[in-house]
Amino acid sequence: MSGATFSGASRYVLDAELAQIVNVSMALEMPLLLKGEPGTGKTMLAHAITESLGMPLLVLNVKSSMKLVEALYQYDTLTRLNDSRFGDSKRDVSDIEAYIKMGKIGQSFTAERRTVLLIDEIDKADTDFQDDMLDVLDQMEFDIIEIDKTIRAKHRPVIIITSNAKKDLSDPFLGRCNFHHIAFPDPKMMRKIIDVHFPGLNGALIDGAIEAFYKLRQLEGIEKRPATRELINWLRALQSDPDFNPKRLKEELPFLGVLFKKSQDFEQASRLAQRRGRY
Amino acid sequence: MFIDFFYKLRDHGVPVSPTAFLTLHKALDQKLIQSLDDFYTVSRAVLVKSERYFDLYDQVFAHHFEGVELPANEGLAIDEMARAMLEQWLQNPKELAAALGMDEAELQKLTPEQLIEYFKERLKEQTERHDGGNRWIGTGGTSPVGHSGHHPGGMRVGGESRNHSAVKVALERRYKDYSLEGPLTNAMMGEALKRLRHLRPAGPKDQVNIDKSIYQTMKNAGEIEIVFDSSLKDRLKIILAIDNGGWSMDPYIPLVQTLFDYAKAQFKEVKTLFFHNTVYETLWGDPARYKKPVTLNELARRDPETRLIFVGDASMAPYELMAQDGSIYITDRSGRPSIACLEFLAKTFRHSVWLNPVRKGRWNYTRTINVISQIFPMFELSIDGLEKAVARLTAM
Repeated sequence: MSGATFSGASRYVLDAELAQIVNVSMALEMPLLLKGEPGTGKTMLAHAITESLGMPLLVLNVKSSMKLVEALYQYDTLTRLNDSRFGDSKRDVSDIEAYIKMGKIGQSFTAERRTVLLIDEIDKADTDFQDDMLDVLDQMEFDIIEIDKTIRAKHRPVIIITSNAKKDLSDPFLGRCNFHHIAFPDPKMMRKIIDVHFPGLNGALIDGAIEAFYKLRQLEGIEKRPATRELINWLRALQSDPDFNPKRLKEELPFLGVLFKKSQDFEQASRLAQRRGRY
Repeated sequence: MFIDFFYKLRDHGVPVSPTAFLTLHKALDQKLIQSLDDFYTVSRAVLVKSERYFDLYDQVFAHHFEGVELPANEGLAIDEMARAMLEQWLQNPKELAAALGMDEAELQKLTPEQLIEYFKERLKEQTERHDGGNRWIGTGGTSPVGHSGHHPGGMRVGGESRNHSAVKVALERRYKDYSLEGPLTNAMMGEALKRLRHLRPAGPKDQVNIDKSIYQTMKNAGEIEIVFDSSLKDRLKIILAIDNGGWSMDPYIPLVQTLFDYAKAQFKEVKTLFFHNTVYETLWGDPARYKKPVTLNELARRDPETRLIFVGDASMAPYELMAQDGSIYITDRSGRPSIACLEFLAKTFRHSVWLNPVRKGRWNYTRTINVISQIFPMFELSIDGLEKAVARLTAM
């Protein structure tokens, strides 16, 4: 497992810098914190790592109301209550451990092989959750209070943490991970990304779409800028329209709703699209 | 190794920690770094924990390893052309002591609009730097424009604020980003704010209440009955509007920073807006009060149960508050006097308070504080005042 290095996957275009950071983080056994605009492929990176290294992926989708213990394990009291009432299950009611279910972090600790643990959108949870979780990930062990047992990680998972945060995470948290900010891809990189997603797509269409896309991104005062995900969906929409001719991209921009999801943004973009038509 | 580099980063304001530095050495030790390029990437990932400092890191890196000159610290973002022009004349403002009181009665009659006109005219006529005198723009004169001068109700052009009444800041683009740095903690303030947290059961009933379930099951003689509750959620929305403008708020910055830090840590949904002195048709989403305008009408569409908290010294020239077009910004000409805007906000959001960093004992000396405290319940920005404000905000 130590020999495994990450070098990209079939549907993910990786820049060399990020690849190196991923490999160093794996070697140093530190979690990697990824920040960046929504839609720059933070989550996709974890999928790409699992694909290229052939490790199973466990995704912990952080929710705002989440408590740390939910991510570690769950004590299924209801089933136990039920079993004790009816007594028809094969489980031993007096054995609490039979009613402990592992959460995502617990699963990654107890897995028989090394896993990739993706902790998605950590910023949604409050700071206490974040700090406590990092403690667990640092120690690579946690206690199950109900049965007084310590779960120790069999294999240190590769931990990828993503954050959309505008607010910074706490200092102790940051101190324990490596950090990378995924910048929005430049047009050249974007071209590569599109090529990976749409092999053999009409070149004129891609060029036109990318050009229009970057122009639209530069509009002043847009609240939610369209990202890679939107561009891919947009291309899919353009592709599926049988009447669509790439040359017309110069004059009009169809399906703007795919790119702009806020009504104000949409109006502004449509105004620009109309202006393009006139000149 | 690289200890120089480490301290250079620190000196230039990149928060790097010794632990991270040790981690970097671990990486070096494991032969993960083979070239300078590797070093660049890895040390950034390990040492720098926020993209905010990437640029600074790049500069320090280039300086340390390639000897590139470090650019001098440019504190102020200047974008207006006029400012560049005026700065030439207004460099090195001279101390002014004597030229007080001249033309006071006459100059007082000038309205802000006339002042701006006067300023523009003088700007056209004037071609060189000018100090003293009573007509030209320069430093330390009694002309109504220029700075460091004394003119009741005059316009300040850059420079330092001396007289609280002389305000018409034409060339200001300076800002304090309270979010960037602040004192770390102030537990008492946190405690006070915590009381604003309203945990209420909300959403679907999907959580099993084990105690109640067991109780009910016992009551049913062992026949299982499961009791569900809905989970507790913090539903309180908060708008924090901060006066981060200009000079009069400067003494209170540490206080406001603490408040800001705490508000961000405590509440799920805090919207922070900025204004200068008082509110006209727009507030700003960015600390520079430039890029992200938020109009009052947009605000009015928010949940009226939102708690609106103003933080500001509420001290300004009375006309800023009362007059139509009273704004000290030339571009801000909405036609509605600020006081009407404030009343509109107070009506829209039932639960609103104004926190004033000025000590309560001094409120009576400033007229605008009195006026605003009649619109919004005003509290001193102190632990006591904060608790009272919180009590007011949580009252149904």
